[in-house]
Amino acid sequence: MQVMIDGKAVEVEPGTTLLEAIQGNGGHVASLCYDERLDPFGACRVCMVGVEGAPGPLPSCTTLCREGMEISTSDETALRVAAAVVELVLSELPEAPGEHTALAVVAKQLNVTRTRWTGAVHEKDEDLRHPYLAFRHELCISCGRCVRACDEVQGAFALTVTGRGFYSNVTAGVDSGFAESSCVSCGACADTCPTDAIVELRLLELAIEQNGSGE
Amino acid sequence: MIKSSKSTVSTTCGYCGVGCRLEVHPRSGVIASITAAMDGPANKGHTCLKGRFAHQFTRSDERLTTPLIREGDGFREATWDEAFERIVSEFTRIKSDHGPDAIAGLASSRATNEDCWAMQRLIRAAVGTNNIDNCSRVCHSPTSFAMRRCFGYSGATGTFNDIEAADAAILIGANATDGHPVVGARIKQAAIGGMKLVTVDPRRIELADYAELHCSMRPGTNAAVILGLANVVMTEGLTDEKFIAGRTEGYEEFAALLAEYPPEEVERITGIPADDIRTTARIYATAENACLIWGLGVTEQRYGSEVVQLMCGLAMMTGKVGRPGSALLPLRGQTNVQGSSDMGALPDTYSGYRPVSDEAVATTFEERWGVGLSREKGLTIPKMFDAAIAGELKSMFIFGEDVAQTDPNTTHVIHALQSLEFLVCQDIFMTETTKYADVILPASAFLEKEGTFINAERRIQHVAAAIDPAGDARTDFEILTTLSAALGHEMNLATPEQAMEEIAALTPEFTGVTYERLGREGLCWPVAADGSDAPILYEEKFHHANGLGTFNALPYREPGEVADDEFPLILITGRRLQHYNAGTMTRRTRNLELMESDWLEIHPDDAARLGIDELDLVSVRSHHGRIEIPARITDRIEKGNVFTAFHFPELRTNLLVGDSVEVNTGCPEYKVVAVDVRAMSEAPSGTPALVAAD
Repeated sequence: MQVMIDGKAVEVEPGTTLLEAIQGNGGHVASLCYDERLDPFGACRVCMVGVEGAPGPLPSCTTLCREGMEISTSDETALRVAAAVVELVLSELPEAPGEHTALAVVAKQLNVTRTRWTGAVHEKDEDLRHPYLAFRHELCISCGRCVRACDEVQGAFALTVTGRGFYSNVTAGVDSGFAESSCVSCGACADTCPTDAIVELRLLELAIEQNGSGE
Repeated sequence: MIKSSKSTVSTTCGYCGVGCRLEVHPRSGVIASITAAMDGPANKGHTCLKGRFAHQFTRSDERLTTPLIREGDGFREATWDEAFERIVSEFTRIKSDHGPDAIAGLASSRATNEDCWAMQRLIRAAVGTNNIDNCSRVCHSPTSFAMRRCFGYSGATGTFNDIEAADAAILIGANATDGHPVVGARIKQAAIGGMKLVTVDPRRIELADYAELHCSMRPGTNAAVILGLANVVMTEGLTDEKFIAGRTEGYEEFAALLAEYPPEEVERITGIPADDIRTTARIYATAENACLIWGLGVTEQRYGSEVVQLMCGLAMMTGKVGRPGSALLPLRGQTNVQGSSDMGALPDTYSGYRPVSDEAVATTFEERWGVGLSREKGLTIPKMFDAAIAGELKSMFIFGEDVAQTDPNTTHVIHALQSLEFLVCQDIFMTETTKYADVILPASAFLEKEGTFINAERRIQHVAAAIDPAGDARTDFEILTTLSAALGHEMNLATPEQAMEEIAALTPEFTGVTYERLGREGLCWPVAADGSDAPILYEEKFHHANGLGTFNALPYREPGEVADDEFPLILITGRRLQHYNAGTMTRRTRNLELMESDWLEIHPDDAARLGIDELDLVSVRSHHGRIEIPARITDRIEKGNVFTAFHFPELRTNLLVGDSVEVNTGCPEYKVVAVDVRAMSEAPSGTPALVAAD
């Protein structure tokens, strides 16, 4: 079938999502909860695009292409919604995300340089018990990428998100840490985490060493 | 997610035979982190805790950083020149007194193709004997033997992509989620996605939980299982007659044999219910595409090579070979177990499995290398040890292998090592084996050198150095080429890449291989002159002169060891997720915190009968030796069987394994050992008894 992306006609297979169609044709949409290895989740509402005739912006990762659809990746409303979402996400974090993280990259793409919201922020809550993998719960944005990587890439089913709203956070096992859960220490969660809420312990140590030496 | 850096090096994992592509991020000469390459063909952006995290061993304080020469009971540090001079003078003396066949070498399946190539060339051309073997002898040599006999090539018929393309799969004798974690994850995901999986294993492995059906056979009865499956396929008319008629030979004899193995008879032999045999056969045969996947649970048995031949027969009678989703996939043990054998680090074949007795082949090598070469088959690893004890073999050069820990009948191996006049070890750590060495050469880990590995898909993949060898250690390739020159045979191979040029020039399956063509995703051999490779073999014909696949009618025979009144339990050995083989690498990482020691798995009924409680120290005695180990009670193992791994030298599991070997290849029967298990009332002695009490 044929769809229009930013005024350009492209051919796509039935079942293709808007995000896949855009990326497959050299376009770009910022996203937080999307990982091409995982099933679309549609949780973060950052990958919004404009679609002609739709009542509002649509999440491109979970919307399927339809014949003749006209998609805009520069739709102002969509970008404003995405930026607001990122701003809200940032407002809950006690510190700015590391420059290399997907969240920082997306914030930059959407020109979110600060947050206007001054509500509650997460308190520091680290779990450094595992020899390789560290939790920094205060950085968790509940995007579910780690949970899905654990389920869909490895199949260990060790992670889950508990709590509701502001208090929702990732946990291994029954709040027991990686080592006591069914975790097999593959690291797929750390690989996909967009904020370093799950991070390789050694990298955390290196960052601390570097900051300690005044860099 | 870690910051990508200009210094990031893409390489291939040096642990198991899956061949994950890795991105290595060094910082100040030390590895800071390793991540999975998103475009890795075998791992597709994933890796396990070994490939990703277990790299700290590279800068362990225990690394060998300088050559060592024996002095009295210990070793003294030496220069490289001293070490080489010593080796040259001893090899020369032994050669002139006893001939070149008094010397033998072992190449390593953890080393690159180029290292193995240099090693076999050193032994063949610089020493002058075919006494060269590698550790695939003790794992998948039966697979190699069988697949060459039935299909032609020694290797998987397809790739891991066939797992996702399959509608069904039988996994037999492989605990993939522990032994080959990334492929284990791929099999698990495929099963979750609807692929019908049948697991056949004496243990209820993790993947059994995701299977349509799990079959627990009595250890050592694999042949009967496959014959039973084939019997059902035949009697229920599930055969692919067109495939049998057009592409194979020997089916009539095979079919005649199958008549002797109806499911009820197979139930009697294997303990698997007859109806489960029927169901498994139907799942496999009626699937449009299905795979057979196996590991060392098939090969490390007395008739392992015969079982693999029967599996080839099962695939051919159902036409399930040579197309996407229908493949036979042996899960190779170590990273380059495929390549070390492909390179001809074997006593009977040159690269590409061409016999050393083949005049035309030998002549080609003689012309290229400028030396005369022996036409006589050399010794396999077990025969080397026998010859050492008999006083016929005087010297060994063991490269990257800890035979005193990993080979069976440890008492016998140590006796052999002690009997040698001169032992050279080339390794990255002191091991159980280096204790008996006269010269130890400090070598390099896979993260410190360039070359290629060949994974279980026959995929040749590039290996790149991310850090330097430790201290004064050198790359294995440099050590071997330098030593060869010192022995009077200059290889004229300055780099591993030049070695690959020579491999390509001398080996038909590698004709089109160049480092440039390997790129990031590698090539599956055979690689034609134009660089095209072969992820799927036998699409049109088999690699035999007449193009036909061969059925071999091989009956079930009892394993080398059976349980009896004195040794009533059967010990099975295997891998754990957190560790890797001899444990030399993983035990020097924080993986030790995830698993610090091993245990013996025992069924609740056996434990109750023997008065054994969880974590009680038990004595395990076989015909060959005795060890002490804590017990863990689990119903994942069948009554009558016990299980442990062999990663921890202090436990000395292989003291228990005897000298029963596979009939065609000499691969040890690690998987079937009759033992007696007793609770121990006294405190642990701390030192395992070396010899069984008579």
